Amino acid sequence: MELRDINYNKGEYVETASGNKVCRQTILCGSQNIILQGKVIVQSEAIIRGDLANVKTGRYCIISKEAVLRPPYKKFSKGVAFFPLNMGDHVFVGERSVVNAAVVGNYVYIGKNCVIGRRCTLKDCCVIEDNTILAPETVVPPFTRYGGSPGVQVGDLPECQADVMVDFTRGYYQHFQPLKLI
Amino acid sequence: MMSRNNIKIFPGAMVCEESKLRGDITIGSGTIVHPSAVIIAEAGPIIIGDWCLIEEQVKIVHRLPFDQQSNENSQPVLIIGSNNVFEVDCIVEAPKIGNNNVFESKCFVGNKVTISNGCTIGAGCKITDEQILPENVIIFGVNCQMREGLDRPGPQTLQMETLSKMLPNYHHIKKPNMKKE
Repeated sequence: MELRDINYNKGEYVETASGNKVCRQTILCGSQNIILQGKVIVQSEAIIRGDLANVKTGRYCIISKEAVLRPPYKKFSKGVAFFPLNMGDHVFVGERSVVNAAVVGNYVYIGKNCVIGRRCTLKDCCVIEDNTILAPETVVPPFTRYGGSPGVQVGDLPECQADVMVDFTRGYYQHFQPLKLI
Repeated sequence: MMSRNNIKIFPGAMVCEESKLRGDITIGSGTIVHPSAVIIAEAGPIIIGDWCLIEEQVKIVHRLPFDQQSNENSQPVLIIGSNNVFEVDCIVEAPKIGNNNVFESKCFVGNKVTISNGCTIGAGCKITDEQILPENVIIFGVNCQMREGLDRPGPQTLQMETLSKMLPNYHHIKKPNMKKE
């Protein structure tokens, strides 16, 4: 099924040379520490906390409205260190989700209203259902579906999940077009 | 509605400029307020103690239940104790909060719930029924199960020390306008 066009006001978004589309109403703290690899969409009122540590996303990532990307911290005997947050390619983060993970692999789908706890590791090709709460330091294996609170495995994914996510994120990017005034 | 803002910040507190503060708010020393946190003192003043950590998207609203809104003369004060942690995107409307509590991400505390000391409200839990939470209670899981903890949650002083070094490099901090007592 083909996605419908998602239109936005041209004035509200900034498009960079590498194809990133970033809304002006986002809160990007410490922007010198945020790396968006290209063709990334960051929608309105999303928060990316680059001031705490580096945040790196792959290509074709979609950060929905009011989502929060926040590098995790770890306690040591001598104080606390913030760890960088690495995200792979073709990752979708749903609305109002909080991502505190250390690593998010490629082709990952995170639903709406999720809480990804501190220093979680999401491997490639996993799906986190809407309203899931992942406990801190959870490791989500590849090709699994996680849901519930605290999040547990609720199912498996087919081998074609990578292609599904590639199609989904590419399609989303291509249909995320500025409003044309006729 | 009253629109005047009266914000008192004690020295040592870090309140980012991008946070939204409305009404009569007092912020104790050592407290950190992240950008885009929202604190609204609608029904009366809010007093926040020392060493609280208030992360982004947190909403602390001082709002009375409907049945108490009739008497307009009284102005109840919302007192939040010390060493409380409010994690990302929690909504807290409690009329009274003690010390050493942790409100995890996306939890919701209604305006009839009084929080004592050392409580942990787990991520995604919603509590709205009229009650007073006893000390060291932990609320967790989908059905908001409740059990008593052996100990109160550990303080976040280490994290706050790190934050207080890092945040001024990236954000504009509101200047303290009060002197030490």
